[in-house]
Amino acid sequence: MSKLAEVEAKEKVPMSKVKKREMWKSNLTAWLFLFPFVSLYLLFMVYPIIEGFIISLTRGGFGMDREFIGLSNYTTMLSDAFFWEALWNTIIFVLISTPSIVVLGLLMALLVNQGLKGTTFIRAAFFVPYMLSISVMTSIFVFIFQPYTGLLNEILRSVGLIDGEIFWLGETGLAWLSILVATLWWTVGFNMVLFLAGLQDISEEWYEAADMDGANAWQKFWHITLPSLRGVLTLVVILQSVASFKLFGQPWLMTGGGPGTSTRPLVQYIYELGFRNWNPGYASAVSYVLFLVMMIFAFIQYKLLIKKED
Amino acid sequence: MKNRFSAGRLTVYIVAYGLVAFMLIPIIWMFWVSFKPINSVVTVISELLTPPYGVESYIRVQESSMIWRWTLNSVIVGIVQTASTLLLSSLAAFAISRIAFKGKTFIFLLILAGLMVPVEATIVPLYELIVRFGWVNSYPALILPGIALPLGVLILKQFYDAIPNDLMEAAKIDGANLLRIWWSIFLPLSRTSMAALAIFVFVQSWNNFLWPLLVANDQSMMTLPVAIPTFQSSFTVDLTVPMAANVLASIPALIFFLIFQKQIIKGIAMTGIK
Repeated sequence: MSKLAEVEAKEKVPMSKVKKREMWKSNLTAWLFLFPFVSLYLLFMVYPIIEGFIISLTRGGFGMDREFIGLSNYTTMLSDAFFWEALWNTIIFVLISTPSIVVLGLLMALLVNQGLKGTTFIRAAFFVPYMLSISVMTSIFVFIFQPYTGLLNEILRSVGLIDGEIFWLGETGLAWLSILVATLWWTVGFNMVLFLAGLQDISEEWYEAADMDGANAWQKFWHITLPSLRGVLTLVVILQSVASFKLFGQPWLMTGGGPGTSTRPLVQYIYELGFRNWNPGYASAVSYVLFLVMMIFAFIQYKLLIKKED
Repeated sequence: MKNRFSAGRLTVYIVAYGLVAFMLIPIIWMFWVSFKPINSVVTVISELLTPPYGVESYIRVQESSMIWRWTLNSVIVGIVQTASTLLLSSLAAFAISRIAFKGKTFIFLLILAGLMVPVEATIVPLYELIVRFGWVNSYPALILPGIALPLGVLILKQFYDAIPNDLMEAAKIDGANLLRIWWSIFLPLSRTSMAALAIFVFVQSWNNFLWPLLVANDQSMMTLPVAIPTFQSSFTVDLTVPMAANVLASIPALIFFLIFQKQIIKGIAMTGIK
């Protein structure tokens, strides 16, 4: 409850003129402070959400008079194999990339936290790929994964593991693996930093107490470190699954969604529907479904990860 | 000290430096290839590791691309977006945290709800809006939609809530108005949070790909993430020129990282955890 309202409730008398004027002034000042942010927010966030839903109920190109077709775009989706493929691709990527990045990020944070020689260097090395732009990152990895001239096949050949070539980006399973490895390489440092902050909040005394009880490293990790990291873990899982749902640049720049459409995620499908097929209505409908699926996922995660804390 | 180098400790070292190699080899490879002569065979490791080396490929990138313009675009978009986000969200957070007004809860919830909305799901209406404004291929199109960031308001509001009220009352008695209180008390006190937020916003903006891909299709208005693949697509055999372009595109961010490493890492931890 705001202060003025509190005062008003307590006194239960009509406000004096002075108070009224003060409150009016306070309202005005607040809105002056809020105006720049809120106007941009309404224009570029709230309006597109509402307008997006309206567009999703129509048919017709950009800038045209569009025809209202009710929920047709949504029912079309039900029998659109490309939509289901893209949705499936996205969900699989979320389910695989999230645990991988959590495990690798946590491992890296634990390593940095060991007080090894060269810790500053190790931490910097783990984090630095995150500073590269997505197109630089994908460009490097596309060249690494090239079948005939790529670094990876060259290394594998020189140590005698293969003698032909592997088409890393040309086969569905391998293409997904390549996208996953590139994504891990690129973003794991960000997650490591979050884990690291969590680790440094854990009190040394707990470990000392455990040492006195003769606990081994594994027991300390399992009974002290991991439970203390629950909050950070929740955060990383939520941030990472949101980021994975928005997957676009990596497949777009590495595989183009191929071979065929087998690595095409939902955001790429939305992009192509809207800006290649010029079908904004259908693209908006798929956008809304993406939004909905993300909300459902967030809700499930919330229930699973946060409720347990009670 | 001897037992520090037990077998377990050795394993830890091997795993740590193995991962360091995994993280650094692609970057070192990028630099290395970029210094080979154009069209040289860089795919055979023994040839890659022997001279000649030179900066031919860098000269080619400069001659045949607008790399400086793209870098400038990315820098302009990044800096303006970051500065505006900081200014606008701190003003809004101050109002929500410290001024009594009607509809406060509603506004705050409305902003919080935005945390859940992926920009990727609103590209169609956003693009149509930009077309209607006639802003395709312009800085406003690249900059404005990313400014009103809910996370900024949330982080700063939490910080402002923790500032003791006495400070503000004292300033009020001294006759300072709210704008002055915000400027001379709240802004300086929240320097660390602001820095953290700034780094977060700048990195996001620097790496933004989907939105510039939509609204910047003229070479002169492209940002680095969009321009680099466009430029590279004409090189199918030669690796040296694309890698030189990658290096040039990464250098500002890498220098920034080397200088502000501590702040960046702390900043990300702060914006994330809060």
